[in-house]
This record gives sequence, structure tokens and C-alpha cells, in this order.
Amino acid sequence: MAEKTDVWQGTLALMVLRTLESLGPLHGYGLARRIEQTSGDLLQLNYGTLYPALLKLEQEGFIRSRWGVSENNRKAKFYELTKAGQRRLKKAASEWEQTTMILSRFLTPVEEA
Amino acid sequence: MRQLRALALRLRGLFGSRLSGDDFAAELEGHVALDTDDGIRAGLTPQEARRQALIRLGGAEQTRQAWRERRTLPWLESLIQDVRFGLRMLLRNRAFTIVAVLTLAIGIGVSATAFTWINAVLLQPLGGVAGPERLVTLESVTPNDGLVPNSYPDYVDFRDHLKLFDGIAVTKPYAFSIGNQDHAERVWGELVSGNFFAVLGVAPEQGRMFLPAEYGDTPGAFPVAVISDRYWRSHYAANPAVVGHTIRVNQHELTIVGVAPPAFHGSMPVTAFDLWIPYMQQPVLNGVGVWLLRDRHNRNMLGIARLKQSVTADQARQELKALADRMAILNADVSEGMSATLMPLWKSPHGPQGLLIGPLRILMGVCILVLLIVCANVANLQLARATVREKEFGARLALGAGRMRLARQVLTESLLLTLAGAALGIAATPWMSHALRYLMPPGPMQQLVAMDTSPNLTVLAFTVGLCVFAALAAGLAPALQVGRLSLNARMNEGGRSGSAGRRNRLRSVLVISEVALALVAIVGAGLFARSFQTTMRIDPGFDPDHVLLNQFFLNTSGYNLEQRKEFCRRLAERMQTSPGVTNVAYSDGVPLGFEPSWWEELKIEGYAPQPNENMNIFRNVISPGYLPLMHIPLVEGRNFTEQDNEADTSPAVMIVNEAFVRRFFPGRDPIGAKVHGWGSWFRIVGVAKDSKYHYLSEPATPYFYVPFRQIYRTDMSLAFYVRTQGDPDSILSTLRAETRAIDPNVTVFDAAPLKEFIGASLYPQKVAASLMAVLGGIAVLLAAVGLYSMMAYWVAQRTQEIGVRMALGAQPAHVLRMVVGQGLRLTAAGLAAGALMAFALSRAVSAVSFTNSAMGGGARLLGGSAFDPVVYIGAVVFLCVLAALAAYLPARRAASIDPMQALRAE
Repeated sequence: MAEKTDVWQGTLALMVLRTLESLGPLHGYGLARRIEQTSGDLLQLNYGTLYPALLKLEQEGFIRSRWGVSENNRKAKFYELTKAGQRRLKKAASEWEQTTMILSRFLTPVEEA
Repeated sequence: MRQLRALALRLRGLFGSRLSGDDFAAELEGHVALDTDDGIRAGLTPQEARRQALIRLGGAEQTRQAWRERRTLPWLESLIQDVRFGLRMLLRNRAFTIVAVLTLAIGIGVSATAFTWINAVLLQPLGGVAGPERLVTLESVTPNDGLVPNSYPDYVDFRDHLKLFDGIAVTKPYAFSIGNQDHAERVWGELVSGNFFAVLGVAPEQGRMFLPAEYGDTPGAFPVAVISDRYWRSHYAANPAVVGHTIRVNQHELTIVGVAPPAFHGSMPVTAFDLWIPYMQQPVLNGVGVWLLRDRHNRNMLGIARLKQSVTADQARQELKALADRMAILNADVSEGMSATLMPLWKSPHGPQGLLIGPLRILMGVCILVLLIVCANVANLQLARATVREKEFGARLALGAGRMRLARQVLTESLLLTLAGAALGIAATPWMSHALRYLMPPGPMQQLVAMDTSPNLTVLAFTVGLCVFAALAAGLAPALQVGRLSLNARMNEGGRSGSAGRRNRLRSVLVISEVALALVAIVGAGLFARSFQTTMRIDPGFDPDHVLLNQFFLNTSGYNLEQRKEFCRRLAERMQTSPGVTNVAYSDGVPLGFEPSWWEELKIEGYAPQPNENMNIFRNVISPGYLPLMHIPLVEGRNFTEQDNEADTSPAVMIVNEAFVRRFFPGRDPIGAKVHGWGSWFRIVGVAKDSKYHYLSEPATPYFYVPFRQIYRTDMSLAFYVRTQGDPDSILSTLRAETRAIDPNVTVFDAAPLKEFIGASLYPQKVAASLMAVLGGIAVLLAAVGLYSMMAYWVAQRTQEIGVRMALGAQPAHVLRMVVGQGLRLTAAGLAAGALMAFALSRAVSAVSFTNSAMGGGARLLGGSAFDPVVYIGAVVFLCVLAALAAYLPARRAASIDPMQALRAE
């Protein structure tokens, strides 16, 4: 159980970092919507699970947060990437690409025996 | 690194939790509002939009929970909850808590105190020396494998010829008189070889230690002294200018050259010396002949050697043995069959630790026993309480608490109890160690013994280890029981505890085990105490009370042999007629003193010694009054008289002891037999009872006495004894006056009660014996408390049942008899189990021998048989009475109340 969550949290963290990199500071709701859209609505994201992941990233120093006002004048907490977060993203992204590449080699049907 | 930072933040999250909790609530509120806004924009009603927003979120409370778990450390948080709840429970059950904490505190405190003592003697043998691990004791070995100190000439040979050592030193403990004749103070010090401090690696605190120029073997050439830090502070107010001062030792002036560092107390554990003087000053200070320093017979120097780096003790021992064996052949006249060996410092048979090792091991055993009882008592209390709390646990299980969580709660509570007990115990340890001082004999011995009673790291580590052990032991049983609780059974019984047969059985088992344990404890303590008695043999075989001892150094007053004998005779005559004096005597050696005993090689008529048999027999040279004064009875023959003198007409005579008779005259009458020594034949005229001569723990040693007037020589010491009716110190002024009346040049400056003089050898055993008595008492007390509370609890739980019986018409006396009878049956079962355990345990322990010392050889941990009927019967009777009482008192209360009340109480 714990392992499964970790994998999920690991990928979720990567999505969060990537989204923050491309869009700049975002509040939690905005992040959730954006991740859903980016996945082409394939990902059924429970918005609530985002917050522990955000807290973990903040505790690890990859993102930081401050209170601000949203586009429609709601009070909201905005998250943005730190320097460490950018480095982390670069590393995690390349690792992830490698993993998927290896996995896809296994999963694509092979002609020659 | 990142993980560490996250951990730190999470730890911080434990505190000030409400603030950031509110912070997150606001963030979540904002999230829902934004989502709802989007929904409204898409055309939903505000209520529907908010509902869908909450669904997408996955529930506000669930999110908060997930967030909280990430923010702090959940296990830590629940631990804090457990601790808070445990503290509340403990505070509510004050009686239980107080009993449990006090029991634990006593157990832990007493064990820590005993361990402080053990630690001081065994684990930290020497303070203030460099590299103590390479220091070893060097001992000479007699032909029959006894260990004895070394002679100075032997030492010089060892020092000059052995290659595997970084140095060899010798030392001899000695009581010095410091100051002027009339107010001389006795100070214990060591006469040491010049290289003593260099070998031990002791650096001076002030001034210098002895210089290589002072290592020499020239008698009387080094009038210098080093004093201890303690003496420096108490007598010179820690004045650095003390270096270069003169100090008057035994009426001779010495120059203080240095002060030893505070941690250094000399070469004997537990013993604090204040003065170090080169051994070569011995002839000057004590007026002994210079030739003594050259005599290989004079074996009285304790050897300490430092092994070279990378040399093992075995290699060094071999080199030493090879040399010693060669020396034994070269000096065959005095050293035939002798050898030498090395051993760890703490194994040295000389000094207090040699006497203490065995008793301390017994003490340790008793400590562990006490601790076991403490744990069992607390576990039983906890288990009993867990039975009472079954309803609470049942309710918590029903509300969804995990079994592990409940077990953890119980463990946390035991840990809390243990920590409280440990804290109290540790707080009490210095006080208890201090109380050790009250067990010590009064007088100068209090200053002689140095013991670091402040609990050090080792002791703390030991105690913490005990705590963990106690927590696990006390918490395990209740925790296991909680884990086994069946939810249905608990709830269905409706809390009618006491009616279920299974739990009645459990309680019976608890009572039985407590009885068994109590029996093991009492039998163990009793057996240990009895073997302690036999091991210690505190009775030295003579009576040192009411005796004043003074050692005269007549050589320094220029006396020849005849003058010395005449001086003794006249002083004895004068003292005998003084008021309050009952006996007067004088001799060469003092029994159980620091001075070594002397032996003579004997030939015994009618006894053919084995080849290589050691015929060197210890002896004393005594005046006719000596045996009566010492209260050593004659079992046969007659005592010496004034007619046994140097005149040609009076034949040489001798008195031997019982051990002498057993060894050399088995089945023969020793009276009238002839024995050869000192170049002439002696006739045995009497047999004296055995007594202790060198160590209290020594086995019966063959020994003989010869008359002062026939054998006394100038090189012998002169000890003068006066037995009084009252306080021996009261006769001191008379002794001074009478001495002065005979010769104004002879002074009495070294007089002390004999009991005090030999106290040095008696004292450690006395402390150990007192500690043993206290520990044994505590073991018995704790076992009794445990048994009483278990039995009383067992009966109290049956109050309802007793009520039912009474309501159905049972007579109180009948009920009482039934309950007490059942209690005694349980006790009998416990006693049977306990007796088996105790017997098996004591047999296993008694197989262990604890001492390597040749002087006190053969002593076993449990002297004699493991089955001592007195101890077993005493313990059984005691426990039966206790159990009957513990069953009777609560049963009477239960039977005396109104049956209806007993039934309604539930």
C-alpha cells in the first residue's frame, strides 16, 4: 500500500514541478485543474491528494508558498518553484524518460525471436 | 539532506499545530470556493456546485487528515497521546503508581549503588595512571603454588634482566606517623621503588615525582616524599609552595618534592594512600637493619609491571618464569622451588580487592535477584490492573482501536512507570552510596578508603540497561494479555469480572508464580547470606576489642638485644599493675596487619616430607601473655612462662596450632615431639586453637609460636599490646607515662586500638557484609510485598462470590476457612514449584568457584551444600504465614460486610 502511494506521489510530484515550471506561480486549485487538462482528462485526480504532495515538496524545499489573491478575487495560497526545485525537475524528468523508454522496449511487441 | 530538512519541519509541526492547521483550513476553503465559482459559471446552482467541488476534492475531512499525517510524524503524535493518557491513568491510580514506582526505585537504586561499589573495585582498578591496560601484578609463587609478594633482591633481578617490560616497580603499604611525637598523625602511604611513578605513568600536579637519580638501591640516600592531592589540600591548603618543604615522618625529616594528581590514590584499588617514600628510606624511617633489604627471604614487596607495547601477557609471563626458575636454582638456599607469575591488577590477592572479588560477585547475583523480583512484582501489579481494566480495553477495541495500539499503550505505561522509578532510583543512588559510609567502622579507616561514589557513565549505562529490561519485563505480560482479549467475550460478560473460570485460573497461576518467585528469592538470599557468613569468617579467632597496640622502634634509640628484652619486661611489669589493665603482651608480628608474616623452615621429628614439600611454616615470636591477651585458647598442653627463657637450663619450646597438628601429627600426640628450626631443636609444649594470621579468608594455616625470650632478635619488630576493661584509647596516656619513666628517649607516637589497626583488612568485608544484609532484606521485603498484594487481590476479586455464599447461608467462619484454605493450597503449589526452581538454581550456582587467590583458596560461591534445610524450612514457614495472613485479612473484611452490599457493589 505504502509503495503504491509513493510511486503515485512520485509521479504526482513530477507533474506538479513541471506545471509550476511552465506556468509560474499557481494556487492548489489551479494546479489540479491544469494537471487534469494536461493529462487530456485521462487522469482521474482526487484534488485532495494534491495537498499532502504539495506539503511534502515544500518541506523538502523544492517549492515555496505565499498567500495571494486569485484572478476572481479569492484569497488563495500560491506555489512557485525554487532553484532546488528546478534542478530536481531536470533530474527527475530525465530519470523518468529513461524509465519509460526501457519499459516501452519491453512492452512493444517484438518481431524477431 | 532533503529528508533531514523535511523531518525537522515535521518535528516542528508537532508544536504550534493549531496555527498552521488553521492556515490549511483557509487554503482548503479557498480551493473549494474557486471550484464552486467555476461550477456556478458553468450554470450549476451554488449548492450543486459546492457539492461537486467537495466530491472532486475527495472530502474535506479526509484531505485534512492526509495533510495532517504528512505535516507531522503520526507515530510520534500518538506516542505523545499515549504518554499523556498513561500519565492520567497513573495519576488516577495513585496507590498502584506509588507502590510500583517505589518498588522500581528501590530495585534500581539498590542495584545502582551496589554496581557503583563493584565498579569502583573491579572495573576501575587504578585512577590517574597512564595506560592501565598494560599494567599487571607481578607475584612470586611458592613451591606449593601459593602467591606471595616479592623480595627486594628478587625485584632488582627482575628489573635488571627482563626485556619485555617497560618497567617493573615494587611497593609496600605502610602506616607512617607524621608530625611531632605528642601529636603525631597516622597516615597511610607506600614505600615504593624509585621508578614507581614512572612505571605507573603518573605525572605530578605540583613539583616533580622521583627522579631517575632516586631510583637507586642505596639505603638511606633519598630523604624525599611525594604527597597526595588530598593531603596537600587538607594539610597545606593547596599551597604550591609546599614543594621543598620538609615533612616529619616517623621522626625523620623528608623533603616534599611533589604532589600527585587528584585522581591518583596509590597502587591499590579502593584504598587511598597519602604519602609515597622511596623504599630505600625504610632502614632510616623504621629502624630496621640494612641487611633486610638484601634478604631474599624478606618477601613483602608488591610488584607492578608495565608490559611493552605489542607484548602479550603470556610472552611476558614466560620470560618472567624462565628468569624466576633460574633464580630459584641460583639462590637455592632461600628460593628453592620458587617461581613468579603475572596476573591482571584486579586479580592480585593482596589488598582489599583480593578479598572483595568473591563477595562482590555474590552481591551482583543478589542484585539481579532483587531486580527480578522487582520486575515480577510490577508485572503482576500491571497484570492485575489489566484485569480490572478489561472493560476499558473492551470499549476501546469496540470503538475501533487496534490491538497493537492497545498493547503499545500498555507498554508505554510500563515505560513511564519504569522511567519514574529509575529517575527516583538514580536520584537516591548518591544518597545511598553516601549511606555506605555509615556502615564503615569509625576512625581513620574512613579516610583510608577512596571510593568514587558519584554515579559515572558506566553506572548510568548499567541503570538505563536495567530500566529497559525492567520495562520490557513488566510490560510484556500485560501487553500480551491485551493482545489476546476477545472482544465478544468482554462485551457480553457485561463486566461481570470474577465469575469467569478462565480468569480465576489465570489469577491462581499469578499467585502460584508469585509464591514460587518469593521462595526462590528468600532461599537465594538466605543461601547467599549463609555462604557469605562462612566465606567471610568475620571471627578472626582472636579478640581485638579493648586492646591498645603500639609498635616500638627501639633500634633508633640505640638498644641492643638484651636492652630491648629488658625494656619489654619492665614495661609489661609496670603496665600490668596500672588500673584498668587486664593483660599485657608483646610480640614480633601483628595478626592481620599490613606487615608481612615470617616463616621458618622446619624439620619435624617423625614426619617425612614429600620431595619438594614446602616446609616453610609461618610463625610468631610472643611473650607468655600473648595467647591469653588475644583470647586464643590452648586446646592441649601449657602456655609459655617466664621460665621459658634464654638460660641454658631451660629447653627451647614451641606452641603449634591445630592445623599444624593436623598436617604433621595425624593420629599422633604432638606434645613433647621435637621440631627443628633456627639451628636447634624445640619441644612442643602446647597446641593453640586456629586463628586468622594474614587474611580473614585464608583456610586454616599451620602456624607456630616460639617464646620471645628464646628467639627474639634485633631485626624483629616489637608490637606491644595492652588489654583494658574499657576504651583502649583511655590507657594511652598511662602507656606514654610508663614508657617515659623507663626511658625518656623512647616515645609512644604510633599507638592505636588493635581493632582499628587490623580494620584495614576487615573493613571491605564488613561493608560487603552490610550491603549483603541490606540487599537480602530488601529482596525478602519485596517478595513479601508482592506475595501479599497478589494474595489480597485474589481474595478481593472474590468479594461477590463470598457475598453469594453468605446470602445462601454460609457462616463467616466457614467462608474464612474456605478462602484461607484455598489460598494455602495455592501457596503449597507455589512452594513446590519454587523449591524445585531454587534447588536447581542453587545447584547450578554452587558449582561456580569464585576465587583464584592461593591464600583464600577453595572457596565456592555457595559454600558447602546447596541444600541448607534451615534456609528452606525458614523460607517455607515464613511464606505460609504471610500467605495465610494475606488471605485472611481481606477475607475477614469480605465476610464481615452485609451480603447484599457485597452483591450490589458490582
